[in-house]
Amino acid sequence: MSEYLPLLIGLLFLSGILVTVLYPIFKQRLGWVLSLIPLTIFVLLLISLGDIGTQTIKLLPSDFSLLPGIDFAFRMDGLSAIFGLLITGIGFLVVLYASWYMKKYNRQAHFFSYLMFFMAAMTGLVFSDNLMGLFIFWELTSVTSFLLIGFDHHLEKSRQAALQSLLITGFGGLCLLFAAILIGQIAGTYQISEIIASGIDFTAHPQYQLIFILILAAVLTKSAQFPFHFWLPGAMQAPTPVSAYLHSATMVNAGIYLLLRMHPVLSGTILWKYSLILAGVITMFLGAWFSMGQKDLKRILAFTTISALGTMVLLIGIGTPLSIEATLVFFIVHGLYKGGLFMVAGIIDKSTGTRDITVLSKIWKPLPATTIFGVLALISMAGLPPMLGFVGKELVYVAKIHLPGISWIILPLGVGANIMMVAISLTIFVEVFYTKSKKPAIPIHYTEKKLPWYFILGPGVLALAGLLLGLFPSGLNQVIANALFVTKNQVVDVHLLLWHGFNEILLLSIFAILLGVIVFVFRKPVTKFIRLTIKWFDIYHLPTIFMNVMNQYLKIAGKYTQRIQHGYHRYYLMTFFVATLAITAFQINWNFTELVPLGGFSTIRLNIVILLMVSSLAVLFAVFSMSRLSAILSMGVVGYGIGLLYLLYGAIDLAITQFLSETVIMVLFVMVIYYLPKFAKLSNKRSRIRDIIISLAVGAGVTIVVLHSRALNNYEPISNFFTENSLLKAHGRNIVNVILVDFRALDTLGEITVLTLAAIGVFSLFRFTIKKESK
Amino acid sequence: MNNNNFKNIILENIVTLFMKVMVIYSFYLLLRGHNNPGGGFIAGIIASTGFIFFAIIHGTKALQNIIKFQPQLFIASGLSLVFIAAFLPVIISKEILTGLWIQTKIPVWGEFHLGTPLIFDTGVFLVVIGVILTIVISIMEVLKWN
Repeated sequence: MSEYLPLLIGLLFLSGILVTVLYPIFKQRLGWVLSLIPLTIFVLLLISLGDIGTQTIKLLPSDFSLLPGIDFAFRMDGLSAIFGLLITGIGFLVVLYASWYMKKYNRQAHFFSYLMFFMAAMTGLVFSDNLMGLFIFWELTSVTSFLLIGFDHHLEKSRQAALQSLLITGFGGLCLLFAAILIGQIAGTYQISEIIASGIDFTAHPQYQLIFILILAAVLTKSAQFPFHFWLPGAMQAPTPVSAYLHSATMVNAGIYLLLRMHPVLSGTILWKYSLILAGVITMFLGAWFSMGQKDLKRILAFTTISALGTMVLLIGIGTPLSIEATLVFFIVHGLYKGGLFMVAGIIDKSTGTRDITVLSKIWKPLPATTIFGVLALISMAGLPPMLGFVGKELVYVAKIHLPGISWIILPLGVGANIMMVAISLTIFVEVFYTKSKKPAIPIHYTEKKLPWYFILGPGVLALAGLLLGLFPSGLNQVIANALFVTKNQVVDVHLLLWHGFNEILLLSIFAILLGVIVFVFRKPVTKFIRLTIKWFDIYHLPTIFMNVMNQYLKIAGKYTQRIQHGYHRYYLMTFFVATLAITAFQINWNFTELVPLGGFSTIRLNIVILLMVSSLAVLFAVFSMSRLSAILSMGVVGYGIGLLYLLYGAIDLAITQFLSETVIMVLFVMVIYYLPKFAKLSNKRSRIRDIIISLAVGAGVTIVVLHSRALNNYEPISNFFTENSLLKAHGRNIVNVILVDFRALDTLGEITVLTLAAIGVFSLFRFTIKKESK
Repeated sequence: MNNNNFKNIILENIVTLFMKVMVIYSFYLLLRGHNNPGGGFIAGIIASTGFIFFAIIHGTKALQNIIKFQPQLFIASGLSLVFIAAFLPVIISKEILTGLWIQTKIPVWGEFHLGTPLIFDTGVFLVVIGVILTIVISIMEVLKWN
């Protein structure tokens, strides 16, 4: 079954393009139609989960490659299956959810197009078996998430948030590219499966540190780890369906995926272990800490996501089979509850018009079903039974306890983060869903009966999935075991249980819950204190610092551009000529005896002598002429002289081109000549002498280079190849044309692209002047 | 130059004829370019020369009416043709920009080859026309030629 996977991912991309065609047909039903594709992939993955069993990696090589070694080969194994299932499953729900959420928005077609591209890129990322393919998909997620975050592009805030996330994740993407190239150079292949199978010990390689730091930069930026975490709270400017998707299964989890994917190759060093643990611990605790001080429901959730991502990075850093198992379970847990909670936040936002938890109250009355789903998700987030969150949290504790050496610092911080989670969950529950206090009632735009069922389906399915998996966690055993086999390269028996019996872990949980309740009871002073710390941190307000750095960078760039691009044509030419001359003079071998060609000079032909004399006279005339028109005409004579020279030596195509372009230039010159200011001598004597010296030197230099190149015919000229193969292989008798359109077609492609750019430049330049004049 | 006080019917007709001849000749050059002197670049310049002279006498508005489309569209379609010619071989899993040929025998003509280089050349032809016309029309509009 999994053979169809590449096709389906292609279909996802295609659907992103086809949205423009489909939207006029389906209008509001578009989301329904589009949701079928992720659903199909989800079902296919579920079926092939049974097919592939444990300990299998199915490779789907690709026939299509961009460049040798860079193709879109896919792989299907336990790890990509888990990520793929969550991406497509939640993707399906998000598309349905968005089809109602985005109803009132303009540019719905744009939105769905971006969303489908994003989904396709993310799916491609987790299934790609080629590092370069992975990189391409990685960057595609950055670009599409930029479009999605900045979807409300009329708001300054959205644009800024989108740009910020693009710059940060794009930087990480570049680091990933360098790392991929380095790994590819060492392994001799870009196929991930071959790299892992090659058995090369990357950790002992002298460039390991560099590779690891590059990968680390990619992961820290993408997965919003401290100190790059600030783009994620900003990214909640996106419409809520996007936030739900971004936080739960995609984008930020790409970094986690990359770490797990690279685990067999790069892990096991002290550098890997401690840098990940450090980043993870700081992020985990700060995320939880900051989230308590927020008022906006989506912002609270964004910071809890940061905390959860920190936990996952920390667990991967620990690196025991147990901790990887905990990572995988925690990833599923987090995807399920975070997707649900964001969708609930969106529903509340739609029905009340606000997300401020200090304003919201008694949501359970108008939205009973949503409240149930939301509370289930909150229980999972707090890590209480009977949700899957409890299973995940217990595993995380086990992994942290069994960490030799530093568990004394990791464990308290982990428990601390968990205490905050419990407190936040309780706070949201009490403040938003169930309020006894005397908050004023808020206006309700939609009660639940007025909302369509598929708008509430998303959180419902996710909450129930969390509940079912929590009650019967053994259903995940095989999936997790398979992913573990891929990551740790060893067979591990996985036995997930909801009830472990009465042990130290359970005691820790009870302790965390009790403290969480206490924090909740004293939430007023605690939040006050947390807001105070946030204020202290805001001295180093990272988004502002980031924007300042960017602005400074732009300023410096602008300054230097103005210095280099001064706008004086004569100085450009002078720079160009002098630099070229200096470089050639430095390179050339100053041995004048070599200047005579091997076969001696050819015989001097009278017609060519006359031609050259006429041309030289025309040049002199152009230099000393006192009228612009005659100067231009004599330059034309020079041009035609060169054309004739081509003709006399048998280069007919070159000659024709030279004549024609000379003609066109003449016509253009004559056209504008009436509009130019009066001819005058503006330069002083000194600069003219300088120009004469430069031009004479350039002329002499070019002559020497030409003579030199004639003398140095070390290699067999390529022209023989062209003459021999032009008719045989390219079916053309005109060698010049065959070179242009066949042998060297890539050059031509580049040239006409440059021509196009020039035309665009001229067009916009003149348009600008026309507009300015008409104002 | 083309205002009501000054109208030279003979000149206008000659230029129109000249333009037509140039355009037809450019097609001829384009098609024969693979075996004889010619090709997309040369043909493009020849056709544009015709158009430029036409524009000088009749003005840019008249030229826009004749060519029907914005010159930028020529560039766009030319580039698309070039990219199609470049990527056609990829579909049948060959290297990018590989020349594909169809060979047939036509009774009177003899051996006949048709291939992606011709599409490529046509693209170059269109881009060259588009670029030159864009530049010339922009300049003439700034000069308020008509």
